Amino acid sequence: MMGIRLSLLAVPALLLVGFIAFVTVAVAFVLSRPLSPAPAEPIVFDHSVHVQVAGLDCVFCHRTADQTYTPGLPDVQQCMFCHSVVSQVGPERAGYAEDLTKLRAAWQDQRAVDWVKNHRLPDHVHFVHAPHIQAGLPCDTCHGDVGNSKGSLTQVRALNMGDCVSCHRANNALTECVACHY
Amino acid sequence: MNFDEQPMEESRPDGLTRRQFLQAMAATSAVGAVAFTGCQPGHPIQGHEFQMESRVRLAEDVLSGFENFYATTCQGCGAGCGLVVRMIEGRAKKAEGNPDHPLNRGKSCARAQSVVQEQYLPDRVQGPMRRDRATNSWSPISWDDAMTEVVRQLRDSTGQNALMLTGPVSGGRASIVDRFTRGYGATWLTLDVLDEAPLREAVRRVFGQDRLPSFDIQNARYVLSFGSDFLGGWISPVRHNVEYGIFRQGSYRAGQFQPRQGRPRGYLVQAEPRMTISGAAADEWLPTRPGSEGLLAAGIASVIAAENLGDAEGMRSFNTTALRSVQLDQIARDTGVPAERIQKVARDFASRRPSLAIGGGLAGAHTNGSDSLTAIMALNVMVGAVGRPGGLILNPAPALEGIPAPRATRVADWQQAADRMRQGQVKVAMVYGANPVYSLPSLRFNEALAQTPFVVSFSSFLDETTALADMVLPAHLPLEDWGNDVPDPAPGFQVVSWQQPIVRQQYDTRSFPDVLLALGDELGGATRSGLPWRTFQDMLKESAQALQQERRGSVRAPDFERFWTTLLQQGGWWDESRTQPAGSGGPGQGIPANLALPQYQGAESDYRFYLVPFPHTTLGAGESSHVPWLQGLPEPLTSVTWQSWVEINPKLAADEGIHEGDVLTVETPQGSAELPVYINPAASPQVLAIPMGQGHTGASGRYAGRDGKQRGVNALALLAPAVDQTTGALAYGATRARFKKTGRRMSLPKFEGTIPAYQIPGEEVLEVTRES
Repeated sequence: MMGIRLSLLAVPALLLVGFIAFVTVAVAFVLSRPLSPAPAEPIVFDHSVHVQVAGLDCVFCHRTADQTYTPGLPDVQQCMFCHSVVSQVGPERAGYAEDLTKLRAAWQDQRAVDWVKNHRLPDHVHFVHAPHIQAGLPCDTCHGDVGNSKGSLTQVRALNMGDCVSCHRANNALTECVACHY
Repeated sequence: MNFDEQPMEESRPDGLTRRQFLQAMAATSAVGAVAFTGCQPGHPIQGHEFQMESRVRLAEDVLSGFENFYATTCQGCGAGCGLVVRMIEGRAKKAEGNPDHPLNRGKSCARAQSVVQEQYLPDRVQGPMRRDRATNSWSPISWDDAMTEVVRQLRDSTGQNALMLTGPVSGGRASIVDRFTRGYGATWLTLDVLDEAPLREAVRRVFGQDRLPSFDIQNARYVLSFGSDFLGGWISPVRHNVEYGIFRQGSYRAGQFQPRQGRPRGYLVQAEPRMTISGAAADEWLPTRPGSEGLLAAGIASVIAAENLGDAEGMRSFNTTALRSVQLDQIARDTGVPAERIQKVARDFASRRPSLAIGGGLAGAHTNGSDSLTAIMALNVMVGAVGRPGGLILNPAPALEGIPAPRATRVADWQQAADRMRQGQVKVAMVYGANPVYSLPSLRFNEALAQTPFVVSFSSFLDETTALADMVLPAHLPLEDWGNDVPDPAPGFQVVSWQQPIVRQQYDTRSFPDVLLALGDELGGATRSGLPWRTFQDMLKESAQALQQERRGSVRAPDFERFWTTLLQQGGWWDESRTQPAGSGGPGQGIPANLALPQYQGAESDYRFYLVPFPHTTLGAGESSHVPWLQGLPEPLTSVTWQSWVEINPKLAADEGIHEGDVLTVETPQGSAELPVYINPAASPQVLAIPMGQGHTGASGRYAGRDGKQRGVNALALLAPAVDQTTGALAYGATRARFKKTGRRMSLPKFEGTIPAYQIPGEEVLEVTRES
């Protein structure tokens, strides 16, 4: 009697253990993948045109990168600083006119533009841009070759704790916990 | 403990065994995990975490995580203190006093602190709205349509049929309202329940000046204050508090304590019927019969004259005719202060110089208000306090020209306006910063507004008056607006406080002066030619240019741009050297000959008590009741929050068997109200004291009370429309009252007594003794 009960329970239990193991591996796999491809931006922003053609420095738009924790997203007004006049430069990209219309409409309606964030740090960590820029690190150290990127950006580095700590060690920077976890 | 012994398997109510339960849990978790990840293919985290907002405009000074500080002028009351507001990422976080400002010297009060809460209050009117009178429903409307409608209404009407009803406005704002109403021909009335018109009249009679004087409390040795709660909220409370600190113990300015070297600690005597914060801080408190403060001053004057204790020069210029008829015994009976006490105060006041007599507030809010305050002001002449350090300093003419003089609130004017509205003679009423439906209930403005074809309010909150308007065009709040203020009283020299928009407008609001300029432009004719500026800012710049050309004072710059920037940075302009020349006396009236007890509404036989409605420390006369911080801050003497109460004397309470929290019906000839009792040892036995500020019935915001659920009681609704006989200002202290017990009780929301007092073991008990 006892044996029958045990075997009756053992089959579903084994199935369950196997299923849990499968799910655990699957979840770990999904979470460990790099974040790509990113969802589409509301307006296609071509960094390469702004950097290569217009010759803008990163801090021309991201103007607080060397002053505070966030590089700062340019406001719509700053886009319009040029794009109230500039409507076409070089070979026209498909959809460029529509994108420009979207931008101008946002300005007309005094509406914010919701961009898609493509870089993500783990939870419980602070990253402050200013000291990194002030230490002389070029932006592409972490962000890759943004200046030649044509559409949505992708995160090129893991930007996890191991990544940060190895770079901090290599540059003789602080590695105390509170340097980032505060 | 052995966990195996616990009879868990049997005890689960759903009949599951522990093993089955754990199995089920595991299975459920696994399914949940699959479902969780399965829903988000490719992107484990989505939604708002991946959104970044590119704002439409970022101010140049916005630096994430960094703070900025901007100077401006507080609009919480009429004092005109300077503020410095801490801003982070475009948001006002904290308001503090401007350390450079000569009025408040870095200090601030609760009302100033709460400007940031008012700014972000969810109850603000967020854009122009129009009300359908038939359904009493509001619907949004664009500024363009609203302005077109207002212009049409103003064109259809004439100046004679239009009213401009405002609260106390000052500086450039007053100038614009003045020019607009004169150009259009409309009648302009200002409403301030706590108007100090009787004090202005007294100052005019004694010193020949239209400006309020500065009370140099900090250098005085002896301050005798009548009815004016100068530490609680009277005319310039922050400045008075700073000076009071120096008066008592020295100065903490610039982080260093500078004791009153060589000078004894100042001595404060407060005479009033209900103990105020100033009374609580005083060395001596003289409980007087309401409205008898002038008689008390006359009694003191008679003692000084009889014993020849006064200042020789002061006595020469003092008209002592009226003093001959003063009988000290009669005065003792009228005021309720024993003759010996009056003599002692008179001798102290005359001998401990520099001494200073202050009067106003409740002492002036009687039918004899101006006369009482004249007697009190005249005491300063007797002891030679005028124009001397530690005395009463007369203020020089304002540095800016073209600013209209402060306008008195005459109840008769408002009565006439209400009558005209009721008779249909008023076609357009414009309301800004005034709430006559709440503040003057006896004039029944609600009926008057119903008979007025077009009522437009410029309030940012739906107060009682705005709720009855046809249209509301919300004005900027103080942190969003430009402005300047010529403080009255000034601190003895010329001061102009400057106000600048330090946060971007949060909603679809406009600056009230800008709206008037736009209306003037549309109306054309005299209205337009009287307002030659495009924006309010242009007008203020013009004023600043005039100041720059003076080439004196705290801000000097060779070019205007630098002058303007420095002016805004410092929060104003002042010239400490520009004082009122010495010897500029006035008519020098002494004690008024016809000084008598005031008249009260309600016969003494029917109404045993004097009703003392007093301005609430933070809510004032009800203009700040929509701000929850100010509601929640305990009233300093009773510690009551969020509620009205009636203060009665402990002996009276014992005789009548009344306990704290008992609900009484307080009746006056004008009306009645139900209020919980607070037993206050410092309330005179013949007095029922009620705070102003509560009892809002309109939709002034969820914190003041709405949808018929009012918070507390409007003390002003109990008042008869009695006035000071000279100035016509509301005599809010001139009503008698009685009470009935309702038999009900309520718990009074207060902090006091929630933790009982106890003796700390081993600590000495401090005994408070009376100074001999």
